[in-house]
Amino acid sequence: MHKAAQRRIIVPFLLPALALLGVFFLYPLVKTVDLSLHEFSRTGATTFAGIEQYRLLAGDPDFFNSLKNTFLLTLIGSGMLFPPAVAIAWALSQRIHGERFFRFVVFAPVVLSVAVVSLMWKFLYHPTLGLINPALESMGLGALAKTWLGDPATALAAVTFVSVWHGIGIWVVLLCAGFERLPTDVLQAARIDGAGEWRVFRSIMLPMLRDLMRMLAILWAVQSLQTFAFVYILTGGGPFGSTDTVGTLMYRVAFDRADFGYAAAIGVALVVVMLSVAWLLNKVMKRDDLQY
Amino acid sequence: MTSSTELIEGPGPAVSPKPLPPSPSRRRKGNPPRPRAPFRPYHLFFYLLLGAVALSSISAYAWVFNVSMKTDTEFISTPPWQVAESWRWENYADAWDRANIGLFFGNSVVVSVASTVIGVLLAVFAAYPLARIPFRFSGLILGLFLLGLMIPWMVTFAPLYLIMQDLGLLDSRLGLILVYATYNLPFNVFVLVGFMKTLPYELEEAAAMDGAGPARTFVSVILPLMGPGLASVAIISFLQNWNEFFYALLLIHSPERMPLPLGLFQLGQAADYGTNWSTLFAGMMITVTPVLLGFALLQKQITKGLTAGALKG
Repeated sequence: MHKAAQRRIIVPFLLPALALLGVFFLYPLVKTVDLSLHEFSRTGATTFAGIEQYRLLAGDPDFFNSLKNTFLLTLIGSGMLFPPAVAIAWALSQRIHGERFFRFVVFAPVVLSVAVVSLMWKFLYHPTLGLINPALESMGLGALAKTWLGDPATALAAVTFVSVWHGIGIWVVLLCAGFERLPTDVLQAARIDGAGEWRVFRSIMLPMLRDLMRMLAILWAVQSLQTFAFVYILTGGGPFGSTDTVGTLMYRVAFDRADFGYAAAIGVALVVVMLSVAWLLNKVMKRDDLQY
Repeated sequence: MTSSTELIEGPGPAVSPKPLPPSPSRRRKGNPPRPRAPFRPYHLFFYLLLGAVALSSISAYAWVFNVSMKTDTEFISTPPWQVAESWRWENYADAWDRANIGLFFGNSVVVSVASTVIGVLLAVFAAYPLARIPFRFSGLILGLFLLGLMIPWMVTFAPLYLIMQDLGLLDSRLGLILVYATYNLPFNVFVLVGFMKTLPYELEEAAAMDGAGPARTFVSVILPLMGPGLASVAIISFLQNWNEFFYALLLIHSPERMPLPLGLFQLGQAADYGTNWSTLFAGMMITVTPVLLGFALLQKQITKGLTAGALKG
């Protein structure tokens, strides 16, 4: 009997949330695909253009430059992210002193706004007023000092580093959970057999963490393919387009060129790229399950 | 009951984590659940590694604090790590009043609190039928919410901008609040549905037996049990809304309506050409310090929640 009464609250309970979701997410989502099939003129009039936008996109050097940079950022970032993250998670899983403090310090940047972190690093990187170059000089490494964000050779790596610095805490926590789930009896058996801690780490822990690493790699790819705020604040896509990502290109196309249709087409392309990368990574990194 | 209403009214770092489950034994001194490992030589590597990470983060923070105490000429003329000549707290007053940080702070509080309240409230109402009442399209509707976890939101920004323009919500705090609340919904619904499914089904039957209608059952039986779930969802939503940059940049144009991250960005752009660095750094300290304090208080919940939030990618 109360089941019938319950049915009466379904619609009123769901409606407000669904209304918001519909207006601000689902409708824009459908509209994105629709917009990408239209051409915007500067007067604001739209005409149906079919796949014309996508054909333009396929021949657009700016798009391919931004795509290249986005992939580079993902790749360089995974190199900067995973080795330290694994090492830190390994360290934190060892029940060492000051664990709570170290966890706080490693995770703290995650709770800070991307805007503030980027702004801070923009100054840290500053060739004369910042902290990095003077620190290098005082250590006698003055030759390494660079105009980090102003040089096309280093700008992308510098931006990537900031995004890694900001987000590493999440990956450390996820990896920590992985380390804690490792079967202690297997590790103990290895230690009794005389394996050193490094050997245990390399031959047992890492292979057992493989599935988790695959998931984290996909997460990292999906996340860093969307990079926008770090680039927008740190370099604005410059110097000479060397840090332009798909996100910043999309934003610029929409607001500097007022071409919403083309921006939507870039957005659709980005989703397609992202899904294929995730699918590919999943395929490539898949191995048979470990038996133990 | 009191705990859950408290949470709905005042989410954010101020909320006391009373109903949350961090085991008190962990905090108690001299009685840690797992003993520390005895020191071994290879631990030195770990301490060095963690020490380096800690040192870099702390020195960055200390540097920002130090600069916020300098004058602008001092900032340009002295080496970066030289300690400021005096405690210039007036930089903070300057930042708060003249650089509009106080205004941005107020906007951030209004926008984050309102959007968090709306996002959590609507999510808890939507989660209830999805979790506990079987009906025909429940799977489909849950799928629509989960779609929001899978598709990057940034992609829809162009039509969103046009829609906001049509609705007259461009450059308004109300528009930003609604967008943030929507932005929070998928994750909130996802977490709360999972949480509600763990409650025993006899609850509704017993309430119905006692003559309570379904709405009454929800308010006086289910909601009071949702304390921990609501708290974690509210904390994470608040943090995300407090830090959000992209939609603020997209939707807000006039300085008097900007939330903190966007306002600071704007100040940073100005500092590239002007000379108000010390106020900018004071502004950074004002933005960062409350968040860090809140994080220190609620480290466990925030870590867990944000980690779950990252999985939504």
